[in-house]
Amino acid sequence: MGELLKIEWLKIRRYTAFIVMSLFFIVAVIATNYIVFSVNNNMANNMGNAISMMSFSPYSFENTWQTTSYATGFILLLPALLLVMLVTNEYTFKTHRQNIIDGLSRQQFISVKIMLALVFAVVSTLLVFVTALCFGWASGTNFSLHGIQFVGFFFLKAITYNLIAILIAVLIKRTGFATGVFFIYLGGENFIAKMLDLWSIKLKQDNGTDYGSLGDYLPMNAADGLLSFPKNPVTNMAMNFMPTDYIWAILPLALVYLLVFYTWTRRKFIHADL
Amino acid sequence: MSILTIQQLSKNYGSLKALKEVSFSVPEGTVFGILGPNGSGKTTLLSIVMDILKATSGSFVWMGQENSADLRKQIGTLLETPNFYHYLSAQENLRIAARIKGRGEADIQKVLELVNLYQRKDSKFSSFSLGMKQRLAIASTLLGDPKILVFDEPTNGLDPAGIAEIRELIKTLNKNGKTIIMASHILDEVEKVCTHVAIIQQGVLKTVGSVSSVMHQSADSILEKILVELSANDLVALQHILTEMGGIENMVEAEHELHITCSSELTAEQINQFCFSRGIILNKLLVKRKTLEARFLEITGKQSDK
Repeated sequence: MGELLKIEWLKIRRYTAFIVMSLFFIVAVIATNYIVFSVNNNMANNMGNAISMMSFSPYSFENTWQTTSYATGFILLLPALLLVMLVTNEYTFKTHRQNIIDGLSRQQFISVKIMLALVFAVVSTLLVFVTALCFGWASGTNFSLHGIQFVGFFFLKAITYNLIAILIAVLIKRTGFATGVFFIYLGGENFIAKMLDLWSIKLKQDNGTDYGSLGDYLPMNAADGLLSFPKNPVTNMAMNFMPTDYIWAILPLALVYLLVFYTWTRRKFIHADL
Repeated sequence: MSILTIQQLSKNYGSLKALKEVSFSVPEGTVFGILGPNGSGKTTLLSIVMDILKATSGSFVWMGQENSADLRKQIGTLLETPNFYHYLSAQENLRIAARIKGRGEADIQKVLELVNLYQRKDSKFSSFSLGMKQRLAIASTLLGDPKILVFDEPTNGLDPAGIAEIRELIKTLNKNGKTIIMASHILDEVEKVCTHVAIIQQGVLKTVGSVSSVMHQSADSILEKILVELSANDLVALQHILTEMGGIENMVEAEHELHITCSSELTAEQINQFCFSRGIILNKLLVKRKTLEARFLEITGKQSDK
């Protein structure tokens, strides 16, 4: 697999979109968290005692892992989009055929793409870890690894987005169309999830039935549902109305969805005419 | 030893049968041409043996072994179009191919020089002309000095000098002991380069064998045939009187002239004398030896496959 990844590196290292989007992603991760950090600081400065009383700082240690993972989760579509482009490029240039002709097996070709998705997720997660660490220190609080599991949830979300991107690319094959389908799927599932979430609130209010946020049981939202903004005085006030986050149910479901994306992608590429 | 043995290979696209139970063997050391009109199934056949397409039924073996990725590393293949990363240079593209084949990068300079692209090694693939792309694809097939080469329309997009160069290269490679499988719809190319030929039409194997045996085999006669091109001012009258002449087996009209296939015992003098005696003055009379083109047209008719 190491040799195959080296070959992938030869393919992408001079690809302009890869360089531009990677740099943009790094800047976006820092900028997004800096904006949240600054807004919170400004609010604290402006509101003074009221906020101090609430004693909530999203980037203090313990909160920083969750806040950084949650805020960065919104820009995870950048590496996913890059993966759509990298995989559909193979179809556009017909290099997926040439790679097989030259001596890769179909299994090797698709496995290294999935491995690339994993590498992107690992790199994104490392970036989140370092960013959370830096903002945590900047908050002036004492270092703590409490809440580090949210960085793990971020990794799960990153790999989910990346595998969905590869699946769509393998199914659709054309760059523009696949990118469009990716956005439509993202928007469509989020819209349905929001509707289901509202229904969940209504169910809890009307009948006291609490199944959790039903939107979190959808494929992309399962990984999304593991990440939320840290509990704070405002969310605490709304807690009684909101459905419970059943992490014990969402986490295995998210893993099952991952397995489905992985298996579907492999089967499609290995058995189809190229 | 047989390099490639294909048995009862079929490929369906829904109701369309692209290949129908094709079977043949490619002997070692030959230049084996797969000849057929556009859409006859040549590329489909090569795509199946390179694991790009899945056969509906049938099987094939390379050198007696099941197809595998490791086996394909020992075969240099250009299939349909040159397939490279557009944003990478010629050298970077060949580096990827060499790494996939598990070969060192030492060959890259040599193969680029062989196809006259070394000066452009750092140019992006997207800046190449069609002919240069084709030559780069041929260079890629030569990486690692494989014993078997598979070319699908190798002279596609090349200028006349480029075509001649590639044909010479193929002959030289064959002389050096390589087996070459080459699909083409260009009859002249197959005739000039190939030692063996399989003719495919609408997915059906029509005939297979050495070029000389295919040219001389005929269902109704074992005598060698000649092809004669002739014309006169009154082509209709010429066609009419030739139907009365013995020894003519086939006659087709082509661009204001007639092409007749007849027994080699018939001479130009006899034909000229016969026409003159019937009041027709010929303005063209060209006797050609039986060509693969004539044999191909006999086998396939004159239409492209749809």
